[in-house]
Amino acid sequence: MKKAREKMKTDTNQEVVRLEDVYKIYITGNEEVHALDGVSMTVQKGEFVAIMGPSGSGKSTLLNMIGCLDKPTKGRVFINGVDTSTLTDNELTRLRREAIGFVFQHYNLIPTLTALENVELPMIFRGLNDDERKRRAMELLRIVGLEREMNRKPNELSGGQQQRVGIARALANDPEILLCDEPTGNLDTKSGEIVMEILSKLNRERGVTLIVVTHDPAVSGFARRTVRIRDGRIIEG
Amino acid sequence: MYLELAKRNLIRTKMRSILAIIGIVIGVMAISSIGIFGEGLKNTVLENFRDVANEVIITPSYSGGYTTIEKTSLSKLEKVPYLESIIPVKSESALIQYKDRKTYVRIYGMERRSVEELFEIERGSSKLSGTCVVGSTLAERLNLRVGSKITIEGELFRVSAILKEEGARFDINPDNTLILSEKDYDDLFKTEGYSMILVKLENLDDIEQFKETVEKSINSRETKVRVFEMKTIIERITEAFNQINLFLIAIAGVSLLVAGVSILNIMLMSTMERTKEIGVMRAVGASRQTIMRIFLYEALLLGLIGSIMGGILSLLGGYFIMIAILQSAKYLFTISSLISILQGVSFGVVTAVISGFYPAFKASKLEPIDALRYE
Repeated sequence: MKKAREKMKTDTNQEVVRLEDVYKIYITGNEEVHALDGVSMTVQKGEFVAIMGPSGSGKSTLLNMIGCLDKPTKGRVFINGVDTSTLTDNELTRLRREAIGFVFQHYNLIPTLTALENVELPMIFRGLNDDERKRRAMELLRIVGLEREMNRKPNELSGGQQQRVGIARALANDPEILLCDEPTGNLDTKSGEIVMEILSKLNRERGVTLIVVTHDPAVSGFARRTVRIRDGRIIEG
Repeated sequence: MYLELAKRNLIRTKMRSILAIIGIVIGVMAISSIGIFGEGLKNTVLENFRDVANEVIITPSYSGGYTTIEKTSLSKLEKVPYLESIIPVKSESALIQYKDRKTYVRIYGMERRSVEELFEIERGSSKLSGTCVVGSTLAERLNLRVGSKITIEGELFRVSAILKEEGARFDINPDNTLILSEKDYDDLFKTEGYSMILVKLENLDDIEQFKETVEKSINSRETKVRVFEMKTIIERITEAFNQINLFLIAIAGVSLLVAGVSILNIMLMSTMERTKEIGVMRAVGASRQTIMRIFLYEALLLGLIGSIMGGILSLLGGYFIMIAILQSAKYLFTISSLISILQGVSFGVVTAVISGFYPAFKASKLEPIDALRYE
């Protein structure tokens, strides 16, 4: 924890994510459950961080905290230097839309939309015009190698293909941070490798900050830094 | 694009959407058809009164103690310049006899030209001197023909004409009456004054001025006569029919209410089913307002499709009700039908959107993290 704070001081202008003593406490019956128990960490721009830990350790909660989907019970979360607790719901929405991309374990594509339209969705929410949107969505599908499948609906795509569409969607608004929650958790080894290669290539070539939650050592092997978490506390990294 | 999204969500649960649309179709059809029928009914009834709107009926003021209108009052009215016609009428009930049949009828005394102006003659001539003109019902009842001889108050009168059947009328319904010339009437009943004066104005706008004149010249000291305008009666009828219409539409509106509840129901279901999807959309940058908009568009689409279909079908519905009840559909394609349809359609759309509001609000209020975790 101390180490993290020192690092934070030295490199503030490159810091995209900073958590300060974050708690997430659920009350179930008479018992308090600390999903996050005083977590502090920082992530620098362009880093590739793997968050590892057993299930129930709080790693997904941590990721949701960073993605502004969840609010801490105590402590503060800074994204690009902005204290997210001061933002309104609409400002948080804009932050998620423009600075953060999500890749989910279960892909979570919208079943009624084609691959192309799924990628367009975040740009629609941003209010981009039709041509611009289509052009960019096609380019992104090309990056993940799915330009030929662009008119298919999610149920016509394999798991690996769906996850690649998910990545393209996460990149739609050119975010600085990509948050991936078990991105290969539902994929076979081969598809998982393809997905991880795409992600690490994005990190290497485009400088996208990657934060990946996983319990798969093969995935964390791609990362340059691994944060280990157990019982809501960071035990390493 | 949001509209497109809404459309696809509706197609995704096709059966459910169709059922919701059917609900709206039925509701709008009920409202519009009844509206169309109601307007048709009103027009059919008013049709009989359109050409008498400029008529004014003057009767004695019974509450003022007058049973007849004085001759002087009549001559005062005759001086008013802007009258198209003025018909003084006397009337009395009396026992008449034809062959061995006796009956009480209302007997009117008026000039020949007044008879011609007020009524249509079916058979015979309207010559009125020692003769009489009888209404169609009376003629039928007593088996009268032109030339039949009737005894009235002991005097014998020959039937010179039989009138056409009239049906409902506000001034004088001649169907069950007998008409004598004023002179014969006076000889028989020896009455002074008139029981009614029918006045036709040249211009409908003169009614207020005419009423004022009557008040000043005849009713200045005491109320001797009363003035009834046909215009007021027509307005009353219109008003009454509008109220009946409103009542019927309100009853029909219940079916639209049910349709609204079914939309509420299916949209709450899809909000639940799509909770996770809502979470995803929130995560990738949809604001609460956007989520709300997508759901409201769904309700709007259901409402629009159902209402437009219902509006078109209501022409058919209106046609059948009109044929069944009025035996004629000539008032089907009118401006008021169009208004009824537009009214029904807008009620349908508004109902759908209002019903969609709560589910849409509920969807928009979901916390992204809770929605994403939902399985």
